[in-house]
Amino acid sequence: MAATQSFEQAANSNLAADEILHVDNLRKHFGGVKALDGVSFSLRRGEVHALVGENGAGKSTLIKILSGVFPYDSGTVTLDGAPYRPASPRDAKAHGVQVVHQEFNLLNHLSVAENISIEAMPKTRFGLLDSAEMNRRARAALDAIGLRDVDVRSSVQKLGIAYRQLVEIARALQSESRILILDEPTATLTERETERLFDIVGKIKSKGVTVVFVSHHLEEVFGICDRVTVFRSGETIATENIADTKPQDVVRHMVGRELAAEMEQAENHKVGDVALSLRNFRVAQSPHAEGVSLDIRYGEIVGIAGLVGAGRTELLRGIFGAEPIVSGTIERDGVAVQFSGPRDAIASGISFVTEDRKDEGLILDMPIAANVSLASMKRVSTNGFLRPANERKLAEEAGANLRLKYGKITDPVASLSGGNQQKVVLAKWLIRNPKVLILDEPTRGVDVGAKAEIYAILKRLAQDGVALLVVSSEMPELMTLADRVVVLANHQIRGELPRAEFSQEKILKLAYGQENQGGKR
Amino acid sequence: MTTNVTKQDVGPESGLSMRNVIHKAGISVALLGLIIFFSVFTEHFLTPNNITNILTQITINLVLAVGVTFVILIGGIDLSVGSVMAFAAVVAGKAMTLPDIGTFEAIAIAAFAAVIAGTICGFMNGVVSAYWGLPSFIITLGMLNIARGAALHVSNAQTIYSFPAAFNAFGSAMVFGVPLVFVVALCLVFLAWFVLTKTVFGRLLYGIGNNEEAVRLAGHPVFWYKVAAFTICGLTAGVAAIVYMARLNIASPIAGIGFELNAIAAVIIGGTSLSGGRGSVIGTLLGAFIIGVLANGLILLGLNDFMRQMITGVVIIIAVILDYYRAKYAAK
Repeated sequence: MAATQSFEQAANSNLAADEILHVDNLRKHFGGVKALDGVSFSLRRGEVHALVGENGAGKSTLIKILSGVFPYDSGTVTLDGAPYRPASPRDAKAHGVQVVHQEFNLLNHLSVAENISIEAMPKTRFGLLDSAEMNRRARAALDAIGLRDVDVRSSVQKLGIAYRQLVEIARALQSESRILILDEPTATLTERETERLFDIVGKIKSKGVTVVFVSHHLEEVFGICDRVTVFRSGETIATENIADTKPQDVVRHMVGRELAAEMEQAENHKVGDVALSLRNFRVAQSPHAEGVSLDIRYGEIVGIAGLVGAGRTELLRGIFGAEPIVSGTIERDGVAVQFSGPRDAIASGISFVTEDRKDEGLILDMPIAANVSLASMKRVSTNGFLRPANERKLAEEAGANLRLKYGKITDPVASLSGGNQQKVVLAKWLIRNPKVLILDEPTRGVDVGAKAEIYAILKRLAQDGVALLVVSSEMPELMTLADRVVVLANHQIRGELPRAEFSQEKILKLAYGQENQGGKR
Repeated sequence: MTTNVTKQDVGPESGLSMRNVIHKAGISVALLGLIIFFSVFTEHFLTPNNITNILTQITINLVLAVGVTFVILIGGIDLSVGSVMAFAAVVAGKAMTLPDIGTFEAIAIAAFAAVIAGTICGFMNGVVSAYWGLPSFIITLGMLNIARGAALHVSNAQTIYSFPAAFNAFGSAMVFGVPLVFVVALCLVFLAWFVLTKTVFGRLLYGIGNNEEAVRLAGHPVFWYKVAAFTICGLTAGVAAIVYMARLNIASPIAGIGFELNAIAAVIIGGTSLSGGRGSVIGTLLGAFIIGVLANGLILLGLNDFMRQMITGVVIIIAVILDYYRAKYAAK
């Protein structure tokens, strides 16, 4: 089925035509679920092509089909003029279609070089591993994308998350690539790391490789892509030239409704007394004795910006009692408190929406209702015995408040989309009526529509007098939400910007300001 | 947002139990198949005597497996239950043969001693593995040796016997043709089912098995919940010790060797996931039945003990493969 023989012929005969991949009316069903229901688009040679759409719109399924994970039911896919139906990921690779997945596929304890050569380890004449050759190849692969500062012999574990991603890209590009698919490559990257990635994407593109870029971030799409194809409910809605379109139009294609209207919220709300006060607050990872000092008032949304590794998550976990505190004090409503664990923090009215809902936020196998009630067991039980009816009612009410979309409240939470899963995490904490709500990356992996809704919810909370502390790697998110932004670098506050002075540039300058000084990352 | 939650939609864990129902149906069918097979191909399988036999034979394993279910549900494992049972039995045997006490007191003290001895061992398992976050596989492997050594030490490596007649009568008593000890085990199953599905404690055990950090960040004392699961497991090993003594009228320090593996097998065949968070004690009940019916039936078929052991091994592997597919479908 796979037309391997046509590799060279096709490459030659199509040199003139600039279309490398053509997908027409592609369909794929899983049981009764239509994952792809008529997908048509094409890729040009050497372009950066964005695929956007809400979660569940079919992007992942399409990628899996193109990379040989699933077969497709019907439709046609043409690669370089020849029918393309990869039988396995290996087959897809042989055709020059490479994917860098959202979840990393690196072996953490092996070296960078070993990871890069994992598919075909070089051997000496005696059949032993040829480390010199392996390191040389790895060096060449990294140099090819401009990663000269990475030592190929160091273990992957020691690299930051951004570098791991780049190592994956280097590995993918090492073999002959015609199409490189990047599945949400920037989800875990900071702004600067993202820029680095984009430089590399530019290099790859200039070599004639087509880059498919899957992203939730329209500003990135508009920053580096040539064309964009919008998915909705398993169909392709439109393909547009980036030069001829606007982000608002793309969003309208994606969700069928205007983002702006959703997010329009009264900006002027009253700011009250200090709810939470940190003085010289220092977690174990912080190298600075003076720690962090910060006040958060009722009715205020304080944003925390900073690079990965700046200590943002550790700070939040420290406040919540989930991370040991070395020194400093916390005051709640002006009274010094000491939290020996999350239990104490919760008792004092603090709630914490964690960064990673799959690892820390949700019990995926459990019903929506059980997840919503997880931090409020007393409200759904008497003397330790569960009251299922109360639990369902509580969860349904909370769900309705957040416009949660679900089948049955007893369905496992894993059956929901990313945005709705995040709403379940929010619901879990909101039913406690928190006085202070801290959130770590509240909209990571959430589609544009749900993002807008979550922003609206958080703004409403602030208006109702809740004190909010939000960590985010997305600059526009902080600028939309926060009343002021505190910039963290290397576990220290580098500066603070009131709303009037918000600009990406200022935030970035503060975040990078001490970069050379705190150089270890 | 309106939702229609239908009445028959029982319990907040129905997402879990839906799968469990499918699975339980699966092993029920397997059990039924075995029963029909042995009824057809052996002469004595379905006789009242043999059924009583099977029930008696699976009782100890069932009691142990109920406790092990708690530990496996939180993602742990307990390898020590066989040894702990022997230790508890020896301690109870010593207590029961104390000189100069009345029959009733002797039995009461012995039963209490067995349960306490088991509970303490389980508590130790829990505290050590949960406090240092160590794999319970290793900690309970240590306890396996400690408890066995303690059993041999306490008993001076001698089997203890000559228990009061009233106690022995408990081991052989029948209620409507069902061994009393099996009825006790069934009560334990029911109690465990109730705790696991109807209480906050049970809910959070499932939660811990699925995502410990989420439960911790929701403000629950995960450490104590884990300790409790191991403690319950030790407690059931103590109960198993009483059943064992009543049935065999002895307390041997080398009792229960390898029992932990049968108990774990019952739990796994019963569909509880080794990685925790998924399964039920009803499954464990069926799993214990499958092992018991298989053992009994294969002997009636004339197969020797070695063959029987091989076939039981195959069944365990099949159960784990089935679990793999179940998890896979659940993920979709």
